[in-house]
Amino acid sequence: MTATSGVSNGRILLALIEDTFQEARARWLFWGLFALSTLLVLLFLFVLKIDLVEGAVSLFGIESTTRTVDIHRFVITSYSWVSVVLYIWGTFLAIFASSGLIPSVLEPGRISLLLSKPVSRPILLLGRYLGNLAIVGANHVYLICSIWLVIGIKTGIWEGRFLLAIATSLFIFAVLLCVVVLVGVISESAALSVMVPVALMLISTILGQRQIVVRLLSSEWSRELWQAFYWIVPKVYDLAGAMRQMIVYDREVDWFTPVWTSAVFGVAALSAALYIFKRRDF
Amino acid sequence: MRDFVLCWRGCPALCIGGITCGLTQAKAAANDDKDQAFSIAHVELQRGNIALAKEQIVWGDVSLEYMGTEYALEAESLCKVYRSRWRGREIAAVSNLTLHVPEGVKFGLLGPNGAGKTTFVKMLLSAVIPTSGTARIFGRDASLPEARLPVGYLPENHRFPTYLSGAGMLNFYGALSGLSQSERQARIPELLKLVGLENWGDVRIKKYSKGMLQRLGLAQALIHRPRLLILDEPTDGVDPVGRRDIRDILNRLTGTGVTVFINSHLLSEVESFCDYVAIVNRGELALQGEVSSLVAGQGYAITASRVPESATATLQAWSSVIQNAGSGHFELRVATLEAANEAIDVIRQAGGLVESVKSESSSLEDVFIQATRREQAA
Repeated sequence: MTATSGVSNGRILLALIEDTFQEARARWLFWGLFALSTLLVLLFLFVLKIDLVEGAVSLFGIESTTRTVDIHRFVITSYSWVSVVLYIWGTFLAIFASSGLIPSVLEPGRISLLLSKPVSRPILLLGRYLGNLAIVGANHVYLICSIWLVIGIKTGIWEGRFLLAIATSLFIFAVLLCVVVLVGVISESAALSVMVPVALMLISTILGQRQIVVRLLSSEWSRELWQAFYWIVPKVYDLAGAMRQMIVYDREVDWFTPVWTSAVFGVAALSAALYIFKRRDF
Repeated sequence: MRDFVLCWRGCPALCIGGITCGLTQAKAAANDDKDQAFSIAHVELQRGNIALAKEQIVWGDVSLEYMGTEYALEAESLCKVYRSRWRGREIAAVSNLTLHVPEGVKFGLLGPNGAGKTTFVKMLLSAVIPTSGTARIFGRDASLPEARLPVGYLPENHRFPTYLSGAGMLNFYGALSGLSQSERQARIPELLKLVGLENWGDVRIKKYSKGMLQRLGLAQALIHRPRLLILDEPTDGVDPVGRRDIRDILNRLTGTGVTVFINSHLLSEVESFCDYVAIVNRGELALQGEVSSLVAGQGYAITASRVPESATATLQAWSSVIQNAGSGHFELRVATLEAANEAIDVIRQAGGLVESVKSESSSLEDVFIQATRREQAA
């Protein structure tokens, strides 16, 4: 039993992910996240009544329309609504819930004990990152799959492309979580760890209007500056648009550009966080 | 290659295949004859003739001891300089600190608050990155994660995750220390029993008292049966009963071959528990040695009154401690009987009155105060 051999990184990562889950369980914010998801699922399960024969849809027992609705169209609209809500509000809430998990592990007395273990610093931070991602991923899978099942059972319409919302929302959260980790490592402040990624979400939305803005800008350099910022910042707005196009209209969209540029941003932020964490004194 | 420790007044220093850093220190106290003997011993060590070298190198305070194959801890010229971000001001927390802790001993690191003890310990564990110098744990570079595998650590002002139960915490740190699930399942009840928390394993840590937290922290440090236990102020803030419990647990480790390294400012505890001590002051090593040797030095306490100022300077030259209680009243300590007689002569010639002369042995507290004052004076 004496520790003489090396410690497997896989075992350590699993222990760190499990620990992040346990800490998240002790935080009300994470329960809130799952409670909101459950509320949304219950809304579709009990409150929304769909009459397949008459083509009528009612909410809280009150028919929303007197005329017959296209059930397929209704399902797709529901998918669109849920995926956008998850993408924007789900990501925002997930960032809010995750913001404290990095600074908490950097508390003096806690970090020094963790660093005394035969664990490399990058593994320590990656374990925390992956644990966070796993929690939010579990919430996204739970919400989207539950709604997909409820709507599928109620209507018999099984559109697999709705599940794309899990991947898209989780991807953009993974990118923004890299920023949470970076800000957390630098500042050890939970508040700042929320503010910076949320600001990035807003900036991305503004930068995403580049077709309009570029026409309004008078000088060449300001247009180029705008374009440069557009390429650097993660494409939160563009990915939301691509996801909606795919889910609602089943159109071929350019996923590649927003995905790789956002991924590069995330990798750069996480690498910077790992570099700073590796060189810091605790 | 075998490692040896050259002991001078119990002060361990590293000698590998020849006399290295310890020799300089030992030579400083040796007379000319000893110097010659050291040279012979050096040659014999280089030839590998350990028996002959040992014969040459044993006199009085100086001896050569075989200390096993390796040191538990080795710090070579460790420095840590903090720079303020904006002004660029530099503060040396630890300066050129060289320390060797032989395997299997109980070693105490002492020093006043802010002396750099915790920074030093953190450098050993790579929580603080040294500005210069090297640290090794059982011969391995301390900056490598695998070097920390045989180390159990209890930090000062620890913050254990309050969302975990006692058993859950041991399970988590056990996993990080490299134990498998089955090993942890077997070890956790054993440890909870050892630290007297067998009925508290399933209770959340936030309900634990300070003493219970310290005992749990000790269990956490012991979970993977470490060869080196580093304890940073293990009894800080713990009541006397809790302190005794911790001491009892540590005493059970005696004879198991575990090296215990305690960083503390509680001198009485270190004196009663440790074999070796090092005193750090202002980031520098002020003194190190075997506790029994350091406290064994007999001394004499002389109390005198009406001592004129003119005699004070002369007395200060010999005596290790002088306390001026006001109005010419003195209490001074000297190391030898000869010095005591000379001091009495000076006092009487200056017109002072000797009130009492007492023979006494020094405590670790006296040694500590002397060492830190000497450093400050320097």
